[in-house]
Amino acid sequence: MSDSAFRPTPEQEWEDLVRQLHDQAQGQPRPFFYNRVSARLAGRPTTPGRAVPVWMRRPAYAALLGVIMLVLSGDVGALRPAPAATPATAPAAASPLRSHPQ
Amino acid sequence: MADAEADLVAQLQAGSEVAFRTLVTRYQDRVYRTAFSLLRTPEEAEDVAQEVFVEVYQTIARFRGDASLTTWLYRLTTSRALKSRRKAQTKKRFAYFTSLLGFDNDVLHEPPDHAHPQALLEGQQQLQLLLAHIARLPDQQQVAFTLRHEQALSYDEIAAVLQTTVPAVESLLFRARQTLRKHIQPHLRYV
Repeated sequence: MSDSAFRPTPEQEWEDLVRQLHDQAQGQPRPFFYNRVSARLAGRPTTPGRAVPVWMRRPAYAALLGVIMLVLSGDVGALRPAPAATPATAPAAASPLRSHPQ
Repeated sequence: MADAEADLVAQLQAGSEVAFRTLVTRYQDRVYRTAFSLLRTPEEAEDVAQEVFVEVYQTIARFRGDASLTTWLYRLTTSRALKSRRKAQTKKRFAYFTSLLGFDNDVLHEPPDHAHPQALLEGQQQLQLLLAHIARLPDQQQVAFTLRHEQALSYDEIAAVLQTTVPAVESLLFRARQTLRKHIQPHLRYV
């Protein structure tokens, strides 16, 4: 006698599998979960927002950011040592008393 | 129920520790199970569940009640769990890369699984196969599928969590089921 009458259809098998999926999803956190949440909270700052992002606290990043801003602002020349002023190289602004042709 | 939730939110916003304990006790299982559905390890699920409650405590003052408290908790949990998973995957890839370059002597990459699909036939193994394929679904489909079939949420509730419409949820679930059945069907016993 064929046992095909007792065989579940693919649809029934799928439904059965999905039911198993639901049944296995009944876990719980370990006991004293609230205590662990409280302990984690106690170790956090009271205000959620940080004034300074974490990466800004690293001096190397902060220094790099400073250099990039300086370069982008065009003030990088201020970092160079000023060349010794000679009459030939001195800019016009350095000798304000020079007479201008009329 | 909605009134009770509103009362709880009001007490939380007033800084009541008793209300916070009530919140944790009432929702810890749901939050943990949702995280576990997406992460599949008790340690990571616990970590995400704790982070969710910490975030609730710290940001409850800004909760305006646009969504229900339950929806908000599911939203926080799913987004944190997905974020945690992405971080773990990145870490794993980096560890694999460094192991290939020989920066350390540990074998960090997973050994290949030589189990033939025919070996994954019976009972629990079919479930494991299903879980493995759920984990490979796109994020939105995975969240919709697990909320529906593991947490037994309604289509409306899932739509609220995902901030989308019910037809969009139907579409996500349809595509998820189609993908999963395509992979699982050949391994079902009587097919």
